[in-house]
Amino acid sequence: MTSQVDTPVDETGADDVDGHEQRTPEPAATRTGQGRARWALVLAAALVAASGVFMGWHADRDPDRAAAQTRDTVLIEARQAIETMNTLDYRSVDAGVKAWSQVTTGTLKDQLTGVSADDRKLLADQKKISTGRVADAAVIDADADTATVIAAVEVTVKDAAAPDSEPTVKRNRFSAELVKIGGRWKLESLQQVAVSLS
Amino acid sequence: MTTVRRILPLALATILLAVGMVAWWTWFDLRGDDASANAAVIDAKTAEVQSSVSQALGRILTYDYQDPATTEAAADAVLAGKARTEYDTLFASLQQRAPGQQLTLTAQVQAIGVKELRDGRATLLVFLDQSSRRAADQESSVSAAQLAVTAQKKGGTWKITGLTPL
Repeated sequence: MTSQVDTPVDETGADDVDGHEQRTPEPAATRTGQGRARWALVLAAALVAASGVFMGWHADRDPDRAAAQTRDTVLIEARQAIETMNTLDYRSVDAGVKAWSQVTTGTLKDQLTGVSADDRKLLADQKKISTGRVADAAVIDADADTATVIAAVEVTVKDAAAPDSEPTVKRNRFSAELVKIGGRWKLESLQQVAVSLS
Repeated sequence: MTTVRRILPLALATILLAVGMVAWWTWFDLRGDDASANAAVIDAKTAEVQSSVSQALGRILTYDYQDPATTEAAADAVLAGKARTEYDTLFASLQQRAPGQQLTLTAQVQAIGVKELRDGRATLLVFLDQSSRRAADQESSVSAAQLAVTAQKKGGTWKITGLTPL
């Protein structure tokens, strides 16, 4: 395509350089022929543009693509929220509880926001530093504004009351329900998946 | 006038071509998008992988010292690659102690999610409940396992190719 564009441009350039004196009158038929060829080129280019714009637009609003992006976003935000919920430092309980309420919504958020002063004091007195890490997680189901995620979580607990002790590591299985609120995925529920052999 | 009439179509064609190339490139870029290439959750095939792997894990991790052949046959049917070799080692040690302990194992998938699904390959996260019972000394226990599983579709069926406890 590019060479087709270039060739006529060179012709025009050559005309200008050659000047007017040397110009030999072109037969009318050839001129119309060239004109037609140029407009045909425009038409071809227009087709390329139109088809490209259509395909790009079509791919952009492909529902599968949107769903795939939602799934990936859910996974990233769910992992962060679940880690936050498994993390607390006894030295900054208020900040920790605030972080919990920031990643949750609904009754779960209400419960966390309503953690009493006594409970906060209890958490501080326990002198524990918990750090949650999502070892692995998967989206079970997701639509535009609700999602279910499962996560394998490793919680490391350091006991500051016994500084010489080794941190304990617990492995937990979680199932989480999320809803999209204000552009962010927040936890509506977070439950341990207990053993229940039937 | 003549020059303008000559240049105008060429300029137009150039602009349109440029627009077209950008648009097609956008299309190509969106197509090759990594998120879209992963069919997990969004494609109906996800359910098929989930149920195949669920059933397979239940079969190979359920064991009765009186009937080890059933478990062994299941392993033949659903395991492949590295998972197969690793399982064989595990199974061999199981075979040694199971009769003495009168051991039975039961496994059941509690939750399962597909993380990636593309080109007949899948990676999954599985929560598995296991119970073991030793009739010899009346001991029994239950445990909660978390497994990272890889599976591959071979000859129309999903085979487990990797099993990693988390």
